[in-house]
Amino acid sequence: MASSAATRAAASTAKVVKPILSRDLDEAKRRVRELYRAWYREVPNTVSLFQLDITTRQGRDKVKEMFDKNKHVTDPRVIDMLVIKGKMELQETINVWKQKTHVMRYFHETEEPRPTDFLSKFYRGHDP
Amino acid sequence: MFLSAAVRSAVSQTARQVRNLHRSAARAGAGGIFVHRDTPDNNADTPFEFTEESKKRIEAIISMYPVGHKQAATLPVLDVAQRQHGWLPVSAMNKAWCFSNVAEVLEIAPMRVYEVATFYTMYLRKPVGKYFIQICTTTPCMLCNSDSILETIQKKLGIKGGETTADKMFTLLEVECLGACVNAPMVQINDNYYEDLTPKDMEDIIDELKAGRVPPPGPRNGRFSCEPAGGLTSLTEPPTGPGFGVRADL
Amino acid sequence: MLRLPTVGRALAGAAKSSLAASSTVRTPVRAASNMVEVFVDGKPVEVEPGTTVLQACEKAGIQIPRFCYHERLSVAGNCRMCLVEIEKAPKPVAACAMPVMKGWNILTNSEKTRKAREGVMEFLLANHPLDCPICDQGGECDLQDQSMQFGSDRSRFSEGKRAVEDKNIGPLIKTIMTRCIQCTRCVRFASEIAGVEDLGTTGRGNNLQIGTYVEKMFMSELSGNVIDVCPVGALTSKPYAFTARPWETRKTESIDVLDAVGSNILVSTRGGEVMRVMPRLNEDVNEEWISDKTRFAYDGLKRQRLTVPMVKDDSGQLTVTTWEDALTRVAGALQSVQGSEVAAIAGGMADAEALVSLKDLLNRLNSESLCTEELFPMSGAGSDLRSNYLLNSRIAGIEESDLLLLVGTNPRYEAPLFNARIRKSWLHNELRVAMVGHNVDLSYTYDHLGEETAVLKELANGTHPFCQVLSAAKRPVVVVGSSALQRDDGAGILSAVSAIAQNARTSSGVEEGWKVLNVLHRVASQVAALDLGYKAGVDAIRNNPPKVLFLLGADAGCITRADLPKDSLIIYQGHHGDAGAPMADIILPSAAYTEKNATYVNTEGRSQHTRVAVTPPGMAREDWKIIRAVSELAGVALPYDSVEEVRSRLAEVSPNLVRYDDVEEANYFKQANELAQAVNQDLLAAPLVPPQLTAKDFYMTDSISRASQTMAKCVKAVTEGAAAVDEPSVC
Repeated sequence: MASSAATRAAASTAKVVKPILSRDLDEAKRRVRELYRAWYREVPNTVSLFQLDITTRQGRDKVKEMFDKNKHVTDPRVIDMLVIKGKMELQETINVWKQKTHVMRYFHETEEPRPTDFLSKFYRGHDP
Repeated sequence: MFLSAAVRSAVSQTARQVRNLHRSAARAGAGGIFVHRDTPDNNADTPFEFTEESKKRIEAIISMYPVGHKQAATLPVLDVAQRQHGWLPVSAMNKAWCFSNVAEVLEIAPMRVYEVATFYTMYLRKPVGKYFIQICTTTPCMLCNSDSILETIQKKLGIKGGETTADKMFTLLEVECLGACVNAPMVQINDNYYEDLTPKDMEDIIDELKAGRVPPPGPRNGRFSCEPAGGLTSLTEPPTGPGFGVRADL
Repeated sequence: MLRLPTVGRALAGAAKSSLAASSTVRTPVRAASNMVEVFVDGKPVEVEPGTTVLQACEKAGIQIPRFCYHERLSVAGNCRMCLVEIEKAPKPVAACAMPVMKGWNILTNSEKTRKAREGVMEFLLANHPLDCPICDQGGECDLQDQSMQFGSDRSRFSEGKRAVEDKNIGPLIKTIMTRCIQCTRCVRFASEIAGVEDLGTTGRGNNLQIGTYVEKMFMSELSGNVIDVCPVGALTSKPYAFTARPWETRKTESIDVLDAVGSNILVSTRGGEVMRVMPRLNEDVNEEWISDKTRFAYDGLKRQRLTVPMVKDDSGQLTVTTWEDALTRVAGALQSVQGSEVAAIAGGMADAEALVSLKDLLNRLNSESLCTEELFPMSGAGSDLRSNYLLNSRIAGIEESDLLLLVGTNPRYEAPLFNARIRKSWLHNELRVAMVGHNVDLSYTYDHLGEETAVLKELANGTHPFCQVLSAAKRPVVVVGSSALQRDDGAGILSAVSAIAQNARTSSGVEEGWKVLNVLHRVASQVAALDLGYKAGVDAIRNNPPKVLFLLGADAGCITRADLPKDSLIIYQGHHGDAGAPMADIILPSAAYTEKNATYVNTEGRSQHTRVAVTPPGMAREDWKIIRAVSELAGVALPYDSVEEVRSRLAEVSPNLVRYDDVEEANYFKQANELAQAVNQDLLAAPLVPPQLTAKDFYMTDSISRASQTMAKCVKAVTEGAAAVDEPSVC
């Protein structure tokens, strides 16, 4: 009883959290760089393997864009989590667990923006 | 196995046919189908008018029923109409309804009159001859050879059950028990029962009717009523006077 | 051997009775409350004396199977399906007809009961054709369901089955009389609820059949309900025949808008098409009945529809266009004229959302000329006091009344369900009905006081002989038909009726909450429109012809081109190409009542809403959305984008409109009467004749029912006989 109260008090004073993988931000950044490199190298293979209608350059730009999307993140735990997810994506791509559409989903080619204002919703259909 | 099935179905087939034959005759007799179809002699415009006499009778009948139960007069009013017309065309039913309702007593819909008229077999919703012969062929009469009576009538009038002679004088109908088993075989002609018949009696009756006379109803073998045919078997001695069997000291 | 269980039961019973005797304290309490205690499968239930076994079981939560018993009809007791065993009774009893006695133990699932049900079921099925696959009742058939639940799994019947010929009782009801099990529900419905004693049983025994005996149409405005009442497929819907199965349709709870009663309905749809309309239970409005127009006019929703926006081109022809084009033109027209030169007329089926957005739009354009087609006298209290234009007593309130005075109305065809309620009260509660107006057949008897307006005057000043009856009434109700108020002397009539009502109220000494004065409306939109501040009647528009006229489903034809200046622009927004669309320059297609989520207020002031059952056809849109879109293009965007926001606006204007299924009571009768007496209008000599007199006037009254083929057939059948519309039967 008393011990648990003590831990609670300790937790409230110094916010020490259990790291996921990286002990500090630098280590997390290192992992990000490693993942980026892996993706960068994999893009040409992916393009040929999935017979994508894009150039390697476009693919690499997209990879950069996806990494840049999260560049505001500073919490090493969150970064670790994102890296893990990115690794999963990479693995699925390398092993062709994905299909072409899944890869192309990064490029949002077929998606039209849904109308948000009343009038365009009205013109568009019955139940916007 | 198959053979027995075939036999069974054959048996059931014949049985069914017999049943249907019998029923169709009875249904035709009871006035046939239970919906009205306009025919030249039975439609809403068939001339029918209550006579003054009938009207008086209806008024008397209706006055017998207490307020709120006047619709019970439907039965006798329809009977008055049938007696007047011989049978009950749909126009007579309408009239019976109109007449009673104009007097503001029955207060029912025409449909309720039709319901009554179709329910009771004694309301004749099809034209019948002047003499409506109903012959009972239920078991007691059949055992007393009602078949011979039926055959006599059929031969004599040239009609079958459910038919009317061409001159509209006679209608023959095979019916179920008329409650005169003790005097079997019997026929009912209009309101009269002719009982204890032999084929000869039946011919005589028809001859009389053809001649325009109504023969006296009742048993034809000399019986007065429904007493035993071979004379009384009990109550043969004269009745004892008062005090019979009473204690002497009283 | 056999007796042993009986002895055991007797002993158990004895034990129970001794137990009951020991608890002497509770017995007097029970006697005082005058309740009878019975046991259903051993579970005690307290019921009123005179309750039937079936009702007692219902109270205990056990449903007894039945065919002939219907809770709104008299008890017939002829199907025998409800046989149950009563402990210690020698034989099973018909639960529907047997009143309970104290201490009975009703066994609803005993061996004997089950055997009785199975036996009855076997008898019923002996003469029932096995044509479920081609029967329209299949899937919602009581006989089918109950034979699955209670019947035997095999038949012992090897004889021939009975066959009955089908009847032609009109264009609405299909009869397959061989399927009939002679429950006589339809006969009892016709004579008790509809008041048309055309159906009956003819013949007897095995030959008994339901029919009309003579070739005749079942002429009632409520005739469609026998389809619902029929437990088997003997009476089915002719228009619905062979079109859908109940399990493949989607059912949407909605509201009927073809009259002002606001009957609760269930719209059955399949694949974006309305397959049929059925009633939904609402004790306060329509019980479980609906009128034939409500039930069968749905095919009008598929015909004569406006599906695309149209504009008149240079040659004067209406041509198809896009929404962008049509809306831009409307907006341009609205912007190009002064506010005072814009006017709008709302028709009989406009919903509250559309009404409020149209009002907001025109108000933003500085116009106040918003009218309804239906007239209502605006002098006196007019529509300022809500009590002036509502059916204040409510539909169900008629059952508590003892005297009803109808003025210039024919409720049988103007509001069939209201009339059914009057008939119910007339039949069971000794309601006395009197009528000033045309002598019509209302399906019940009434005192006809004459159709002259002079009678009203005499009633108002107390010189009419009927005033004695009126003043002797304990709970009087006076109902004036909205058609009587359409006349030029409408205000005078309302003032006279108001005086009659006020006098009756004073003389009856009834409590404060009892309402006497009532107005019976004929169109669904009227109460909501008046609640929202629309002006009743188009006189203002006639006197001050606008340059731009907006018709919101106005199809009564009360304004024509001739009433307007040559260069005026008419915009018609509605769902049917009826009277309004042909004279319009721009047509905006909108949704009908089955296609939108919209609020309607019935003649009682009861707010109810429809739900979307199918999507609007083609490019049609919901009414309020069209108006909202117009407002944006016209530069006066309305501040709501969703139906919830429109409803919160409705709540701002008139909170009762969004309190669904609740009647907001109206008061100030006295003040309304005082104001009405200030109106000094002489009554015209013309007799009070409502426009709908006979059945043929009933079927086609609005744009939907006018587009319906079924309704057209009904009119033909009524005028020329049922044989005129007879179609060769497929089955």
